[in-house]
Amino acid sequence: MFGFRPAASHVRSRMRAARMLFIRHGAERTPEGRSLLLLRRWLSPAQQEQLATKGYFEVVGSESGKRYRIYAGTSVNVCEIDERGRVQDGLCFMPIGALPIGDVMLAQKIALETCETNARAVARRFTPSTFQFRQARPLA
Amino acid sequence: MAIQIVMDRTGDRHHPFDPSDLQEVAKAEQRFYELTNAGFTAAVRTGPGQISQIRSFDPTADETLFFPRLIGG
Repeated sequence: MFGFRPAASHVRSRMRAARMLFIRHGAERTPEGRSLLLLRRWLSPAQQEQLATKGYFEVVGSESGKRYRIYAGTSVNVCEIDERGRVQDGLCFMPIGALPIGDVMLAQKIALETCETNARAVARRFTPSTFQFRQARPLA
Repeated sequence: MAIQIVMDRTGDRHHPFDPSDLQEVAKAEQRFYELTNAGFTAAVRTGPGQISQIRSFDPTADETLFFPRLIGG
């Protein structure tokens, strides 16, 4: 009579929806959460997929047509990549004002996609280490 | 409703306005130039994931995003 039975699929799906709602509500209450929601809304579907599964997304420079990879982070997180997808030079630039992570990544995307030369002009160069970027984690 | 989104350290500030209300449009236009004169970059979405920078106020844009001046790290 009081034995446990596996929850029916509709109950499980309702519980999952409630959990997602809770997570989303929680996320919207923090600067980081709100910034990540904004970032996802402004990414292309392909970039959203990359970010969710690989922890980075790629953009194409507005003037040179070069590809850049933007990793999850607020600094030292942008790399130029070659035609085989290998990491080349690193570019460190960000908007002033200690913005949350999603805002920084979105500003970096917009800058490279719409005014690449300006972004490159202010960026500090660095040599990316493979280890540094192997640590990238998906931002679901 | 159209919206202006301004990035700041608290996440982002949203300023919605009604494009059919002249007073609200004037206020939005004033905000646009105050921000861009202060060094903010303004951008609008032109398609899924596609963005273009704007240098003058566009009252027809559904969503305009502003981010602060870029610096090297």
